[in-house]
Amino acid sequence: MNFRLNYRTFYVILLSLLLMVSIIAFSTFALIPKGKEYRSLRLENKKEQAVIDTAHEDHDLTEEKLKKLEEKNKDTIKAYRTVFNPEKFMRLNRTQLQDLFLTEIHLTDQNKSFKVYEVNATTKITSPEVFYQFLEKVNHSGWIIGVHFPVHFERDKDLIRLSFTMKVHHVSEGKEEK
Amino acid sequence: MKYSFIVPRTKRIIGSDMRLALFFFGVNIAMMSAAYLFLEYKTTIFKEKHALYATDIKQLDTSTRMLEEKIVTIEAEIKKHEQISTDNTVMAESIHNIFDLAPDSITLMRAELEEKSLILYGISPNKDTYNFMLEAPLKSIFHRTYTSFYPIENGWYHFVSTNYLDDENSTEVVE
Repeated sequence: MNFRLNYRTFYVILLSLLLMVSIIAFSTFALIPKGKEYRSLRLENKKEQAVIDTAHEDHDLTEEKLKKLEEKNKDTIKAYRTVFNPEKFMRLNRTQLQDLFLTEIHLTDQNKSFKVYEVNATTKITSPEVFYQFLEKVNHSGWIIGVHFPVHFERDKDLIRLSFTMKVHHVSEGKEEK
Repeated sequence: MKYSFIVPRTKRIIGSDMRLALFFFGVNIAMMSAAYLFLEYKTTIFKEKHALYATDIKQLDTSTRMLEEKIVTIEAEIKKHEQISTDNTVMAESIHNIFDLAPDSITLMRAELEEKSLILYGISPNKDTYNFMLEAPLKSIFHRTYTSFYPIENGWYHFVSTNYLDDENSTEVVE
């Protein structure tokens, strides 16, 4: 059998071989490693996405819990952040407590979370009932006020001279930011 | 004058076989390059995301921790407020109960209420009225009760009643 290789066919085969070798080399040294890197990064990315989704879920749940808590207790939260105003307090209680006089004793830090203003109060009341009503009213005032011992009652003609100590609990904005 | 019966075909530098081979390899190379560029692009995006994830997770964790701290603070504030309100109500009830102890025949002039003690100043028509109607209930409440009487011009008595509550812990230790 007489087989003669045409020079054109030879060039085609030579070029094809060269290109095929180039393609195999490109696949082996560039495309396949890149594909492997892509697969590993995609897997890692998927895991990280799951972690971030969980973190987002936790964050949203915590935020929702805080919002509900703030909504439910907005009056208490506001009361803690309202600065005690002795003049306003005296004005609000003037009808019940006659000659109400407040003296700020000192400022203490309780557990480093609240500021406590200690206030001495002296007043005149018509009957002890007025003081019971005042204690009930103070629970719904715009401040967090605790009435403390000593409480002194003393008859003064038709009235009762009363003195007691009040502690006003306040959260300062600076502490809250921390 | 013609020497051939056929028309000579035009000769090309690249023959049809070569063109077919070039087309095939051209398409192959183009597809592989596109795949490589796609992978390169996606890899770069994943790397950028990876860098961002770390920051995002850190930020989310910090934010969640801050929110949790705020919740703890608010819960402590609410608890404190409830305690203060209860203390105020209990104080009103305690004072009410103490004043209710005094019968109409005894006039209280002064009352000093401390956390663990009560001092009452008043006027009683006689010692027995005080002893039966005020001292007895006071003794049932307080651990120690001391009374001093001072006679006044109209035959009645001024009294000073000092009452103490002992520390519960120390009582238990003694017991």
